[in-house]
Amino acid sequence: MAVVTSLAHIRNFSIIAHIDHGKSTLADRILESTGTVATRDMKEQLLDKMDLERERGITIKSQAVRIAYKAHDGQTYQLNLIDTPGHVDFTYEVSRSLAACEGAVLLVDSTQGVEAQTVANAYLAIDNDLEIIPVLNKIDLPASNVPEAELELHELTGATHEEILIVSAKTGEGVDAILDAIVTRTPPPEGDTAAPARALIFDSEYDQYRGVIAYVRVIDGGFAKRQLVSLMRTDQDAEIEELGYFGPEMKPTDRLETGEVGYIITGVKDVAQVRVGDTITDKKRPAGEALPGYKVVQPMVFTGLFPTEGDKFEELRDALEKLKLNDAALSYEPESSVALGFGFRCGFLGLLHMDIVRERLEREYGLELITTMPNVEYHAYLTSGKMTVVRNPAQMPEVTVIDRIEEPYVAASVLVPTEFVGTIMELCQGRRADFVDMKYLSPERVEMHYKLPLGEIVLDFFDQLKTRTRGYASLDYEYSGYRQSDLVKLDILLAGEPVDALSLITPRERAHLRGKALVTKLRQKIPRQLFEVPVQAAIGNKVVARETVKAVRKDVTAKCYGGDISRKRKLLEKQKEGKKRMKQLGVVEVPQEAFLAVLELEPGDKDR
Amino acid sequence: MTGRPFDGPVRHLYVHVPFCRMRCDYCDFVSRALDVSGGRAGAEAARLLDAYVDGVAAEWERERAAHDVRRLRTLYLGGGTPSLLRPERLERLLELFRPYLTPHAEVTVETNPEDADDEYASWAAGALVSPATGAPRGVRVSLGAQSFSPALRSVLGRTAQADPAEAFRRLRAAGVGNAGLDLIHGIPGQDADLLAADIAAVLKLRPDHVSWYELDVVEGTALATRLAASRGAARLAGGVGRVTALDSTAALDPAAMPADPADDVRATGYRRIVGELSHAGYDWYEVSNFALPGRRARHNVAYWRARPYLGLGPGAVSTVGARRWTNAADPVVWAAALSAGEAPPRTPETLDPETRARERFLLAARCGERVPLAEVAAVVDQDVAGSLAAAGLVSLHSGTIRVTRKGRHVADEVCVRLFRSPHLRG
Repeated sequence: MAVVTSLAHIRNFSIIAHIDHGKSTLADRILESTGTVATRDMKEQLLDKMDLERERGITIKSQAVRIAYKAHDGQTYQLNLIDTPGHVDFTYEVSRSLAACEGAVLLVDSTQGVEAQTVANAYLAIDNDLEIIPVLNKIDLPASNVPEAELELHELTGATHEEILIVSAKTGEGVDAILDAIVTRTPPPEGDTAAPARALIFDSEYDQYRGVIAYVRVIDGGFAKRQLVSLMRTDQDAEIEELGYFGPEMKPTDRLETGEVGYIITGVKDVAQVRVGDTITDKKRPAGEALPGYKVVQPMVFTGLFPTEGDKFEELRDALEKLKLNDAALSYEPESSVALGFGFRCGFLGLLHMDIVRERLEREYGLELITTMPNVEYHAYLTSGKMTVVRNPAQMPEVTVIDRIEEPYVAASVLVPTEFVGTIMELCQGRRADFVDMKYLSPERVEMHYKLPLGEIVLDFFDQLKTRTRGYASLDYEYSGYRQSDLVKLDILLAGEPVDALSLITPRERAHLRGKALVTKLRQKIPRQLFEVPVQAAIGNKVVARETVKAVRKDVTAKCYGGDISRKRKLLEKQKEGKKRMKQLGVVEVPQEAFLAVLELEPGDKDR
Repeated sequence: MTGRPFDGPVRHLYVHVPFCRMRCDYCDFVSRALDVSGGRAGAEAARLLDAYVDGVAAEWERERAAHDVRRLRTLYLGGGTPSLLRPERLERLLELFRPYLTPHAEVTVETNPEDADDEYASWAAGALVSPATGAPRGVRVSLGAQSFSPALRSVLGRTAQADPAEAFRRLRAAGVGNAGLDLIHGIPGQDADLLAADIAAVLKLRPDHVSWYELDVVEGTALATRLAASRGAARLAGGVGRVTALDSTAALDPAAMPADPADDVRATGYRRIVGELSHAGYDWYEVSNFALPGRRARHNVAYWRARPYLGLGPGAVSTVGARRWTNAADPVVWAAALSAGEAPPRTPETLDPETRARERFLLAARCGERVPLAEVAAVVDQDVAGSLAAAGLVSLHSGTIRVTRKGRHVADEVCVRLFRSPHLRG
């Protein structure tokens, strides 16, 4: 088993692409054509392990798989493919994966051309000093426009006509040329086989029986089973219980050598001790210096997660703890709401990330959750000179003690066909965005730069962008610091009682309209109750909008005699079961969707 | 209330008569259409009815012994159309139970107007005698009027029906002392005026008891099919044609079928019925039932107080203690088993203590009866009870809970809110 592959015969690479450009399909084809996975075992999007990933057709977690490839020079190479997520929310995962590679296949859909994340990913690859192999995909489709897309790729990467490969991941055409390019164009790993062992943990997974499984790239030296190791940042010592590679399932080996990618299991159960970005070294002969690691990811969007049943709080805590093991970007802290009881304020990279976490909690842990309105982290500067961090509208201090409020801004770049420039300008204006500049990528495509509040993006900016440009626009953004804004807290009252979980922070000039739109939406979302329920929006003590949820006038079946009792009872029990997704707020029953009502406001409601 | 729901000796008997002249279009009860007009079909119907009466006799023998029934406080002949049995067979049935009836037992016979001729009326008036005085006491008659408007009756598919008001007067004239009316509201085409006319007709007859049900269009019934067809026809016609004049052919033509009244219209109608009948001295003692003082249907009150009861006949349901069972619905299968000396095929159900408590509460809720909280503590959420009490939907008083008249309009929702989740996943 232990055939040592020389450094010269190892290639570590990633596939990077904008979402939906065909990355997982290409990975599937590579696994198939190299015989890594027998054709009969193929299922679509093999590397997307989670059900959720397959269902949604997206990659969330990075995966690594070892491929044996017999190249045209007659020699067999060990290729390590590290798959990466495509959505902007998961950019940090991409950058982690890239740090473990020497080369990157930059995949572009030839029917779409270069998109915002193509640009972002290309820069990430360049920053990581990777060899970029530009590839145009989907050439089998009639809409494919290779010359146009090639021009854009050339402008982005400087690659020549000869260097840009054209493939159809779907049919497999051109895939062999990619493998050949990986061998000939990607440099082999540089590492010192004789130096003290060092491996970078670029991802991890938690297994309830085996503890933390660290995904590693060996930089120097090598590791063996039963070796005593230590984690340099956490100073945790451990013994390697098992190591190996992914093929694509876990395959134990005796050793992992310099340049190789694989996994190490130490039996450490505490995920906090095996941090992504940490360096594993030999205990007896430790390396002098840890590898650079990663910058800590900052969650950008915060929301409250509450179990619908109060007694599930502990279960939610356990589930979040476990998810956190695999998801460094997820943060959570206990929170209590008058309306919803005990839960957690969770931090996410973006709305998709939030959605995925919520869905995993419900699906994999059987929890039923209420999600409150997502918001960003505000900084409220008080007249006393102190600053309060506000991650939840309920934490906003009294107006009287606030000097000013700052909110996070992002620098956004939007790539769009020129015909939509006006549309984008209109959309951005409605979102308090400052135009920075724009540049033409080609006569047909333009890159527009804006600075805008992150709070505007977390609502439905991305959806609007896609809708209004018929899907042609693409978006990338990065955090660019805090700026002062004129913001107020809008409270929602149900039956006269403020519901903290429904409060939101909004620009003052739009507070009235938003309040009106929100109470209207809530009136529609909240079913008729046993009594009339006023729904009000208020700023401070001033009510700015009001609607009324009407009372149910009749809800009782006419007949219930000896022969009807069972059926009647079962009907009521079923209705009770159906109420699980309702939250009792005082005397009002509120469906879970109502807590996200603001996300569903008509675009016009928010823009005007 | 003594002991747990449905515990105690059986004192209430229901006999299901699963035959009708023809099936009404809204009906989802266990019933079979019979041609009793005479001739060959009539002879076959007679055989079926005789087999039925024999079956009831056999089942009564079995059940009486099995449950040691020594007395009956109430007997209810329901259907179906019990009056279709005519006095002769009704008498044969009654004969089975007379030895067990208590001196003041309530015996009810559901009656259709077309059966309520002079012969029937005089039988009903004299079927029982007062043990003290020997004077005729008669049975309690529940007359299925449905509506006094022939057009609305035809919407329900009751085209061949005799005038219910006349039938009622005939019963009264013969001396039936305890007579009630069964009515339906929320009939397609029944606007406020037509409902007002029905209410006025009821008050004029001044029955001892009124059961007034909201029409429940059950999927699979002829009425449901017809309503769906008319909605389709209205869409095809490019709009909803308002049907003003109802005539007896309206029911046959899908395009002329009036629309199902909106929920709000039904709710308004229901409140109006409750208001006017209460004003006229009727006690609204259950969701759909009204009675003059002392004239509540004691048999039904027994159900609503979760007393044990036996049901005889095809499709009949019995509940004794933790056991509930439903007889096979097919009269032939049912009768064949009994004539072979066996119990009819039955679907059993076991009621766990919490289920019984839930049923106890949901039945009491419909009547506004007080229930000691201790009896339903396992299934009723006391915090919710507090908030509903604040809204005036239930009343909490010295350890008891009662659904108020206000709450009775929404009793289902009140129960759903009050009930704790039945299956706490743990």
